[in-house]
Amino acid sequence: MPIATAEPEAKQLRKQAGTWLKELRGRAGLSQVDLAQALGLKYYTFISQVENGFGRVPTDSLEGWARALGVDPREFTRELLSYYEPELHRLLFGGKK
Amino acid sequence: MTVVRFPAEQLRTRQDSWQMPELQQFIAVSACSIADGKASGWEIGTTEQGDPQVYLIGPAPAYECILCISRMGRRYVIEDGRGQVILEHDSPAMLAEQAIAALRRRKMLVVTQIALAWHALREAFEEKTEAMAEESLEILAHIAPQLAVLV
Repeated sequence: MPIATAEPEAKQLRKQAGTWLKELRGRAGLSQVDLAQALGLKYYTFISQVENGFGRVPTDSLEGWARALGVDPREFTRELLSYYEPELHRLLFGGKK
Repeated sequence: MTVVRFPAEQLRTRQDSWQMPELQQFIAVSACSIADGKASGWEIGTTEQGDPQVYLIGPAPAYECILCISRMGRRYVIEDGRGQVILEHDSPAMLAEQAIAALRRRKMLVVTQIALAWHALREAFEEKTEAMAEESLEILAHIAPQLAVLV
């Protein structure tokens, strides 16, 4: 059946990333519409896609997301890497967040 | 850039969640992609504003969204997994015209996704609206040879 019921690690981690991003947005006092506007997106649907854990923040817009959410781009990227590419994160940062 | 907002009265004109016939069609259509390994399944969700979304999920190990269809009021928005808007329109028939335009630009990767998404919408609408089905079938007859050449 087509519904994806299993929760492989990559999927779980992306959902955690989405939750974290949603928290960051909440702390910044932004709605999905506000964030989409800050990122120059026509629709806010992609914000939802990422926060729901089905998509990733694209590499070329990491800095834009960080600045829109009011956080340091380097720290933002490092944290997201721990969700999106945990092995790469471990190799680069030794598992430290 | 201005983010498109949808007024409340527009939101009230349609159901706030996917209807069973729509989902059945998404299942039926995505089954082909799943069978040939291009997708592993689909999931549904909503935006903060309650707009229904359906995500076509890519293969293992990433299981990332490869196509997202959102219904915002009367408007359907189809995006890829990077947030790039592939198609947007109030009418599935007009979506088909945009698909033809994309075909003319020869965006091969997008074309397959468009064909899949548009077909899903067309099928979903055929369940509900006979008149629109006739129009859609007419457009399908027009678009099919072009798709056959490119896909």
